[in-house]
Amino acid sequence: MLTFVARRLLLAIPVLLGVVFVVMLTIELIPGDAVALMLGEHATPAAVAKLRDYLGLDKPLLIRYVGYVGRVARGDLGRSIQQNRPVIDELGDAWPATLELTAAALVIAAAAGIAAGVVSAVWPNSAFDALARLGSLFGLSMPVFWTGLVLIVVFALWLPWLPVGGTGSPSHLVLPAVTLALPSLAMVARMTRSSVLDVLREDYVRTARAKGVAERLVVTKHALRNAAIPILTLLGLQAGQLMGGAVLTETVFAWPGLGRLMVKAIFARDYVLLQGAVLIFALAFVVVNLAVDLAYGALDPRIARQG
Amino acid sequence: MRPARTALLSVFVFAWATSLCLGSASPAEAQKKGGTLTIVRPTDPVSLDPQLETTAPGAWVYFNMLEPLLTMDEKMQIKPALALSYEILSPTKVRFKLRPGVKFHDGTPLNAAAVKFTFDRALRGTPPARWASLAGSLSGAEVVDELTVDVMTREPYGPILRTLAMYCTGIVSPTAVQKMGPDFSRAPVGTGPFKFVEWKTNTHVILERNADYWGDKAPLDRVIFKVVPEEGARMIALQTGDADMVLLPAPAQLASLKRDSKYIVHEVVGGRVVFAGMHAGFAPLDDVRVRTALLHAVDRKAILENILEGSAVPARGVLAPSVFGFKDMQLDKLYPFDRAKARALLAQAGWTPGPDGVVQKSGQKLSLSWLAARGRYPKDGEITEAIQAMFKEVGVEAKVQFLEWATVFTQFRAATLNQHMFTLGWVTSNADADYSLYALFHSKQVPPTGWNTSRYANPRVDALVEQARRSLNQTEREKLYGEVQDILAKEMVWIPVYNTKEIVVTRASVKGFTVHPVEYNLWLGKVWLDK
Repeated sequence: MLTFVARRLLLAIPVLLGVVFVVMLTIELIPGDAVALMLGEHATPAAVAKLRDYLGLDKPLLIRYVGYVGRVARGDLGRSIQQNRPVIDELGDAWPATLELTAAALVIAAAAGIAAGVVSAVWPNSAFDALARLGSLFGLSMPVFWTGLVLIVVFALWLPWLPVGGTGSPSHLVLPAVTLALPSLAMVARMTRSSVLDVLREDYVRTARAKGVAERLVVTKHALRNAAIPILTLLGLQAGQLMGGAVLTETVFAWPGLGRLMVKAIFARDYVLLQGAVLIFALAFVVVNLAVDLAYGALDPRIARQG
Repeated sequence: MRPARTALLSVFVFAWATSLCLGSASPAEAQKKGGTLTIVRPTDPVSLDPQLETTAPGAWVYFNMLEPLLTMDEKMQIKPALALSYEILSPTKVRFKLRPGVKFHDGTPLNAAAVKFTFDRALRGTPPARWASLAGSLSGAEVVDELTVDVMTREPYGPILRTLAMYCTGIVSPTAVQKMGPDFSRAPVGTGPFKFVEWKTNTHVILERNADYWGDKAPLDRVIFKVVPEEGARMIALQTGDADMVLLPAPAQLASLKRDSKYIVHEVVGGRVVFAGMHAGFAPLDDVRVRTALLHAVDRKAILENILEGSAVPARGVLAPSVFGFKDMQLDKLYPFDRAKARALLAQAGWTPGPDGVVQKSGQKLSLSWLAARGRYPKDGEITEAIQAMFKEVGVEAKVQFLEWATVFTQFRAATLNQHMFTLGWVTSNADADYSLYALFHSKQVPPTGWNTSRYANPRVDALVEQARRSLNQTEREKLYGEVQDILAKEMVWIPVYNTKEIVVTRASVKGFTVHPVEYNLWLGKVWLDK
């Protein structure tokens, strides 16, 4: 078990090295120069040259890559080009907010999605099932910036229950978390419904019912545990998606997260800051994938024995 | 070279009025003390130190903490700030007498050494300051005595006083900079009416009243600048009372806000001109008849009414009216919207309608390439498309390529530009015509040196802008710039479209606020809340 975890974490290193290189190459290849952009319309060529030299941006790509990797290995993520601030501080400001929002959205999506999906599967083609399917279609198709603004108008302007945006209290978290959760919630509900429906047709479920096991137990213990694997896979994928895909939600609700930080870094061609943010994402993906794999083992002993 | 003039301009400072008299409440109202003003705007500062930040998101905040030697009131007149008076010693040296008894927020006294420190750091520090590029020929400062400082330029430099009145030339506390190092940019220390409390990245910046301010103390206890990127959410925050003031409000909502007594819409013509530029070195635009035909083809009134919805005014030249040296180019009289005239001019230049409606000359269609970005300037994409359609009406084809700003910017800054047209905006940062007429129209200022993207070349204009740059006689300079604009008006290499308005919306309880023509000068030292 421990060797399995250690091996997986070691395997992540070449992945991270590759990610860093791809990001660096991309920033290099897209037109636009960080320093010229930073100094704006009014900069003199001399000023641009001086600053490029100061930031080491005049060195070839490979030299910068090796230098960057060497610094990261020593735990130094460097200073952002634009702000001249340690990247670790920039990330430290944004990372907790992103984690809070993603975790809240994931909990909402999992709890509500699995509950709705199970009810739909147990009473297929009922009124609730029709409503849930319509609702999930809506949740999947509506763009976040639209649902977000509608929620603000309803719950902050008409019914002044919740703040318009920003952070500071648990009530600030409600609207952005719900907005961000909606598309995932819809997906989880649909996946749970089909997955549980499949399992409910299995022989062992019929056996359980024939033995006289209470229907509640049949659904939770027998059906749901077997249906959980695809749901869990989806949740793992969603966790990564939500972290990176929260840019629009963060924008609408003025949420100070990593998504906005990355967009800012891309537009400013601030590769040092962007690298830091991407590294965090890459690490988060590795950890989430690992957690999902371990959870498979806990749910299905057959998988654990192979691992 | 004119002989150096020496002028002693003493400035009266009335006991009851501070020099920074920007906006005042009408005397009928009793000013109330206290309260917190919440401001929402779209982006977080890059930094709160002019060394690293010359754009609005940072400037709006630090303008209330860091004070320059001089300042510009909302009538664009130079007023004393930390300097009480100045004396022009030579074409390259100005002597300033500093205001006595002023202290920085950390208790350090303001003196000549602090001024020298600020300029040395900006002009010779590492990393080099962002604002050094805006400061023209400014070369440094020398201490004469405790409260006397000489400011030097590399060469005779007419705009020097306006340069020292720029929002980003605020004097910083040497003690704080030395103590804090790079952290200074997150918590700057100046002499202004507000001092720094807290900055939470992408969330808010909080300032509080400086109780030891040398002038009239600010009525407000605190100011909170909140980041709300979404325009719709910013406007809702104003309606719910979560915000007292909105910067960059939604243009579409201004009309209804003006009718509502709960809000006040403050607006003034700003310093940015947005234009469709023409590459005068690129056939067929090297022919002035073709260029003027294009000017006649554009219906600016329709663009302003239908696209900008009252959030801008028609441009009256290549400069904004608030800029020193501005002369109205009478564009509507010289180049009225007149399609027949446009076609006639094109015909004079040898361009006759072809079978597909596009004019042609010896079998070649008149087709223009055009590079533009979207969202860099208000409605830049939309006005580009509108002008493209208007060109089509007179038989001129324009092929527009929209790219992301960083890409467009790189092409504009390159030594060669393979585009006939480009959409750009230009703000005169120091409010002096030199800043624009020199960088945009001097033949030696072709990128990457300057911003003469039109490749305009006229020896007479070169001579005039050089002479005006080297003169310290402001009356003479104004005359020279007038002549430059007269010449440019005849040879137009731009289609000036609009002049931005600076618009700030507040709730009606916000008093004593005046919006400034320079977008960065958001002065909150007089603002009070009637709650």
